[in-house]
Amino acid sequence: MHDVAVVGAGPAGLAAVDVLASHGARVLVVDEQPRAGGQIHRQPPATFAAATVPAGRALLAVAERADVDWWWRTAGWGVFGGHAGLDDFAGSTPADRADGDGPMRLAVHGPDGARTVRPRAVLLTAGAYDLPVPFPGWTLPGVLTAGGVQVFVKSAHLLPGRRFVLAGAHPLLLVVAAQLVAAGAEVAEVLLVRRPRAGALLRMLPAAAGNTGKLREGGHALAVLRRAGVPVRFGTRVVRADAGPDGELAAVVLAAPDGTHRTVPADVLALGYGFVPSTDLARQAGCAVRYDPAAGGWVVTHDRWQRSSVPRVSVAGEITGVAGAEQAVAEGRLAALGLLADLGLVPAPRIGRLARPVRRDLRRRRRFATALAAAFPPPAPAPADDETVLCRCEEVTAGTVRAALRANPHLRTANGVKLLTRTGMGLCQGRSCQPAVCALIAAETGRSVAEVGPYTARPPIRPIPLGTLAGGDP
Amino acid sequence: MYDVAVIGGGLLGCAVAYHLARAGTRVVLLEKDELNRHASGQNAGSLHFQLEYRMVADGDAAAERAARALPLHLDAQRAWAGLAAELDAPVEVVQHGGLMLAETADELDRLRRKASLERRHGLDVTVLTGAELTSLAPYLAAGVRGAAYAPGEGKANPRLVTLAYARAASRLGADLRTGTRVTALTREAGGWRLTTTPTAAGRGARTDGVRAAAVVLAAGVWTAELAAMADVRLPVVPVALSMTATAPTTPFLPHLVQHVGRRLSMKQTSDGNVLIGGGSPAKFRAVDGRIDLETAPELRYESLVGNADAARVVPAVLRLPVLRCWSGATTLTPDQLPVLGPLPRRPGLYAATGGSAFTLGPTYARLLAETLLTGEPSLPIDAYSPARFGFLNAV
Ligand SMILES: Cc1cc2nc3c(=O)[nH]c(=O)nc-3n(C[C@H](O)[C@H](O)[C@H](O)COP(=O)(O)OP(=O)(O)OC[C@H]3O[C@@H](n4cnc5c(N)ncnc54)[C@H](O)[C@@H]3O)c2cc1C
Ligand SMILES: Cc1cc2nc3c(=O)[nH]c(=O)nc-3n(C[C@H](O)[C@H](O)[C@H](O)COP(=O)(O)OP(=O)(O)OC[C@H]3O[C@@H](n4cnc5c(N)ncnc54)[C@H](O)[C@@H]3O)c2cc1C
Repeated sequence: MHDVAVVGAGPAGLAAVDVLASHGARVLVVDEQPRAGGQIHRQPPATFAAATVPAGRALLAVAERADVDWWWRTAGWGVFGGHAGLDDFAGSTPADRADGDGPMRLAVHGPDGARTVRPRAVLLTAGAYDLPVPFPGWTLPGVLTAGGVQVFVKSAHLLPGRRFVLAGAHPLLLVVAAQLVAAGAEVAEVLLVRRPRAGALLRMLPAAAGNTGKLREGGHALAVLRRAGVPVRFGTRVVRADAGPDGELAAVVLAAPDGTHRTVPADVLALGYGFVPSTDLARQAGCAVRYDPAAGGWVVTHDRWQRSSVPRVSVAGEITGVAGAEQAVAEGRLAALGLLADLGLVPAPRIGRLARPVRRDLRRRRRFATALAAAFPPPAPAPADDETVLCRCEEVTAGTVRAALRANPHLRTANGVKLLTRTGMGLCQGRSCQPAVCALIAAETGRSVAEVGPYTARPPIRPIPLGTLAGGDP
Repeated sequence: MYDVAVIGGGLLGCAVAYHLARAGTRVVLLEKDELNRHASGQNAGSLHFQLEYRMVADGDAAAERAARALPLHLDAQRAWAGLAAELDAPVEVVQHGGLMLAETADELDRLRRKASLERRHGLDVTVLTGAELTSLAPYLAAGVRGAAYAPGEGKANPRLVTLAYARAASRLGADLRTGTRVTALTREAGGWRLTTTPTAAGRGARTDGVRAAAVVLAAGVWTAELAAMADVRLPVVPVALSMTATAPTTPFLPHLVQHVGRRLSMKQTSDGNVLIGGGSPAKFRAVDGRIDLETAPELRYESLVGNADAARVVPAVLRLPVLRCWSGATTLTPDQLPVLGPLPRRPGLYAATGGSAFTLGPTYARLLAETLLTGEPSLPIDAYSPARFGFLNAV
């Protein structure tokens, strides 16, 4: 029996576990990755530990705690029973494979199959993923995310190609480009769709106190690129990616600010447009979300103790808005303190005192994150042409979605379009296509993305074999 | 002033609007959300013409009563076959036959009695066992002892059917208004006044209300609520159900598969996904202690396990990944028969709901439109008349 089950062992989850376990809470952590760290593992350890997240090493050490249950390669795929409702007396009652007797079930799937746990509370710290921005050729082999390229460089010390073009909207591209240069790769160009908004950059300065790590890292990267003679262009966007005779990426067609096109040969195009909060499990659990474009799209709403709208489900880190690792850490601590009080494990006045410095830290982080997001807004991810595939799983093109909207003029929501066209119905359950499809519907119907809504998230949020659910031997 | 106002943009509402518009009637359809976003777009898409598990579970008398809907089944079996051509749109109707399985001697016995009852009503159904069954359905588990085979059964795609009706209705001049919620029904000289309010799903929905000589209530689980606006009590019960969909795989399951002894419906869609449902319950949300019909019912973990357990009769399915489960709500009636026809003592007010209103939807809709247009439907619908619940409204 666990007091708290934490889904996601990134910075937010680890920070929360540390606080929870140090105050005697019985904690279970599940993460679909084989080890702790979340997105942090995409970053070089030196940068991570030194400049970016000063507490990085200490955080990773949390995962060594023996008083916590760690279930690796284990995905949380559903939260059940969080709401009041009519229970059906006719419901079948299979052998109860849950451990614990809390009101809620967290369903997980790992190396030993599917099972459920009944913790007293759930903390969702599922983080964020790369924002996909479809354009003609974006599904070619050789087109990767900047984060994906970084994993290669970092974990395998292996380059996924020889000649790189990096394009997108996020300053992370500069860091990845510098790492590639350091690893001996040829970086043809780095392209950012927009020059950072000057006003927004100025506003970052006052917010930078205590956040200098990131600024320093950005400055360092620019210097490396300048020394290596890598051009960094603003206002340039990718028009399309072209395949060579082998069907893999051979060249990238770019549009300059004046509209002229040119072709740059490359075998890897690394994209970094920004990040999208991983809200699927939270939405499946019924947590209220809010559309906040500056924070990456749909984010889970919460109160001042990181409690979501669903009783006993708290949230922390980038599922509440993309804002960097330090903010994730602060939110994780705050969520843990809130849960300790709610579960009666630590008296409330003491929690209030412990929370004060965390809140101070959080305020500073939020100011900086807001300023950073305003300086590098992602482009609207909807492609202009009809041939581009939006949904890779079901191979639904932009043209199919536009035609569906024209033929069925009452259609106005992401869910409505999904039901008719199958976009978002595949293996990834719409994680990949949702931003682009919603932007497209909004553009075509003249509504806001907030009105178009996200896809409804349903269990299992990651595919699981039917047989493990039946308890049978598949 | 319209001839007919149809309330509800599900399969029944859109199909009624289509039949009325085709006959030249001035018809308006009012839907509070988008079209096809409730039961009609969430159901299993089974075309089952045998009596279902829930109809034969309570003994022969109950089965006899449920069999009174069999003339509708026979009509629907024909209607679906011609639907794509009629609407000039893909609706993915496949009628390769359906099997209702029995695993115990007792179930096999129930299956035989059920089949003979159905044959008496004219349904083509045979009980298969042994090698005959294995060669028709090699994918079945060894424990299956027999199956009732109805060659006209199959599936259609709920993602497509309702919108195909809606587009056809719209081409024929029907006025389809989405994002428009009906909040009051008032009797007035020569017909009815419908008060409406716009909802978030609308595109600048009008708020001026609608007047019509006749009104059709095709509002799914909300039908009782709408009838109550005209001071009529209808005993239709909302039921929350859940579905499971697997990842697509190569075609291996040409039939609709059901079970005579428990909740199960299984089929492979033309996209290759296997859909599993058949009645495992979901859980209505409650707000302030009352059922909240506006929020999709919550999925119950037990039902997902139940759907997976039920699928064991087709072992190959157990190896497939589950992609998604979802819930929806539909209406049942106390006698398992549809509610179809004019409401007593409310001239010009009609209702259509209850029963298997996807499978039988095209038939309900045509018969109701015929009733409105001529007073003489091509099949008698008196057995389904809302008047059978007149005693509820005698006070
Ligand atoms: C390439 C890259 C570079 C970055 N550089 C910086 C930087 O320099 N400075 C900075 O401040 N920030 C940086 N960030 C951002 C920083 O890493 C994130 O802000 C931080 O990791 C967010 O922490 P988190 O705990 O919210 O989520 P994450 O780190 O995303 O952790 C989420 C964890 O949850 C797990 N998970 C998700 N869903 C499930 C599920 N259903 N079941 C089980 N497990 C699940 C994931 O496997 C993951 O381990 C960078 C991010 C990336 C990708
Ligand atoms: C999971 C599931 C599986 C099923 N499987 C099958 C099956 O295999 N075979 C079968 O035959 N049946 C099946 N059913 C039942 C079938 O789906 C329904 O009987 C059928 O779709 C009902 O259609 P409808 O048009 O009456 O209702 P709906 O599709 O629910 O449409 C009613 C519409 O009325 C609208 N409305 C309600 N109130 C108002 C108002 N005040 N103003 C304006 N609009 C309003 C609603 O928004 C809704 O769109 C299943 C149902 C579910 C939920």
